Amino acid sequence: MELIVCATRGGEASRRTQERAIALAKDRNAELVFLCVVDPDFAGPQSEAVAAALEDELKRLGRSLLNIARARAREQGVSAGIICLSGPVWEEIEAYLRRAKATTLVIGAPRVEPTSQAFGEDVQRFIEHVRQNLGIEVVVVP
Amino acid sequence: MESFLVAQSLFLLLIAIATLVAIVAGRLRLPYTVSLVLVGLVIAILQPFAIEVTPELILFIFVPPLIFEAAFHLDFRLLRSSITPVLTLAVPGVLLSTLLIGGLVSLGTGLPLTTTAVFGALIAATDPVAVVALFRALGVPHRLAVVVEGESLFNDGTAIVVFQIALAAAMSGFFDPLAGLVDFLRVALGGVAVGLILGWMVAQLIARIDDRLIVSTLTTLLAYGAYLTAERMHVSGVLAVVVAGLLSGNLGLANTSPTSKVMLFNLWEYLAFLANSLVFLLIGLNVDLQHLWLNIQPIAIAVVAVLIGRAVVVYGLAWIAHLGRERPHLPLVWRHVLFWGGLRGAISLALALSLPVTLAQRETLESMAFGVVLFTLLAQGTTIRFLLRRWGLIERPPYRVAQERRLGRLFATRAGLRQLEQLHDEGLLTDEMWFGLREEYQQVRHRLAQDLNRLFYEHASLEREMLIQARREALRAERGALSDALRRGMISEEVFEELKADIDSRLEALNLIQAALQGRWMETGAD
Repeated sequence: MELIVCATRGGEASRRTQERAIALAKDRNAELVFLCVVDPDFAGPQSEAVAAALEDELKRLGRSLLNIARARAREQGVSAGIICLSGPVWEEIEAYLRRAKATTLVIGAPRVEPTSQAFGEDVQRFIEHVRQNLGIEVVVVP
Repeated sequence: MESFLVAQSLFLLLIAIATLVAIVAGRLRLPYTVSLVLVGLVIAILQPFAIEVTPELILFIFVPPLIFEAAFHLDFRLLRSSITPVLTLAVPGVLLSTLLIGGLVSLGTGLPLTTTAVFGALIAATDPVAVVALFRALGVPHRLAVVVEGESLFNDGTAIVVFQIALAAAMSGFFDPLAGLVDFLRVALGGVAVGLILGWMVAQLIARIDDRLIVSTLTTLLAYGAYLTAERMHVSGVLAVVVAGLLSGNLGLANTSPTSKVMLFNLWEYLAFLANSLVFLLIGLNVDLQHLWLNIQPIAIAVVAVLIGRAVVVYGLAWIAHLGRERPHLPLVWRHVLFWGGLRGAISLALALSLPVTLAQRETLESMAFGVVLFTLLAQGTTIRFLLRRWGLIERPPYRVAQERRLGRLFATRAGLRQLEQLHDEGLLTDEMWFGLREEYQQVRHRLAQDLNRLFYEHASLEREMLIQARREALRAERGALSDALRRGMISEEVFEELKADIDSRLEALNLIQAALQGRWMETGAD
């Protein structure tokens, strides 16, 4: 059975990305997992207590977003799993895709400029990397 | 004993007036500091009581907490990213400003350049309290606020040093540029060194002693101690406080518990509010309108000279600093803000009041200083909000305003429904009336919730922000519940402190997340 992984974290394109993943899962009768990766390193060095709270709150926020996405999928008759991971975003997504033997990745990425067709450099690199090295279909939702 | 009681009563009266002004200014959406000056002016005209303001009162009592609080709050990482424009404006900017203003005023009034250079130096220090308060309330770009605050912090120190050198030259009638430069470096670097040593020592103590009361006391000692030590050593007290505040606020707090941090920030916010309120009220109280009117011509010349000097410094020096760079340090519209937001305040007045009585034309210089401060506060301080909006610095996207509007209506509708339910429970509304009204309210609530849902669909990041806000509210409620449990003796102080510290850490974490989302620091490009 196909496994669609929808990487989401509540940004501007996330709702469209989730809807696209739900529609794909419905069409293909595929399994659907919503994945959120949080990276607490963005904040730089913090005291031990704040660092621990930061990671926990990021995960809590991530899980809340995933629960909302799962409820929306359920409303449309699609049952979905949710996974919240912590660490460097691209590495964690790639590791999960390998582990779960995913067939499709649905990812949201705003365009660099509203009128441009290009995504950010890091997104572009990651998409190419996943397509070439993991042989996984990547659907990008702008 | 009697004089002590009189002083204490006056002090309390001033605080009461300042509080009243704060309430009224908040309601009428007037700039607080400007309102204080206006009220001070009215009191000065009516003369129900008189207070003599000495330079020592401003410089030794009010300036240390004001400067310390601003430096303590300033994020060193953000300051570092803007250090070139900040230091360009604060060091060469002050020197250039002194010379330009001194020269123009000398040309316009016929006063000797040695005398007007003293005025140029004392009026060079910007005091953007009114502007920064607006920045915080309206949410202008954070880096712009850092440049304005950073410039103001460092140029206070530079201006005082330049003022002392210019004053010595005016009194002796002799100026040796080389000796002046050496003296400038000695006083400025000496102040920085005092601040570095004391600030580092206290930062180390703060990092090791996580007791909010002791830490608060240490910072109070540092603010005044750094100033007094530096002044006793005849080096710059202001620069010592700036550096000490920056070090203790950034290095010292890195490992401090959120509970201590919250207390420290609250303490310094309060002390700065108190000092600011009294300073601006005293400025108004000490304006002699009759005297200003008599000196209206030199004041007008001084205002024009100050505006020209500021324009040359802000646009000219910024242009030089941008040479060879693809992206400017300061976008043009930010330079407009720096130009028109360069208000003058407490430091300029304290220096004007400290002019020796033997200095020729002392009264004219003092009047010019009061006139310029009043002009910048009343003309520039009251128009900056309009200009910020016009320059597009406080515009919010329409979808965000739409979200706020719907949320506001939703809150109001829920409150209305609760009130109706209460009236029904109390028997004041019949069942039929209650059902009829409830149906109407529920439909409105449903429609608003649908609108919000649609908005979240189109702008999903709003939903994430809502989740963070809701979590913050929940944590605050949890903290309130803990306080209740402590009061009712259900938990011990020790357990209360432990759980409260955890909640404070989580609230700080949410602040970091929110700041990162707004600044897009943690964006990797994926959504």
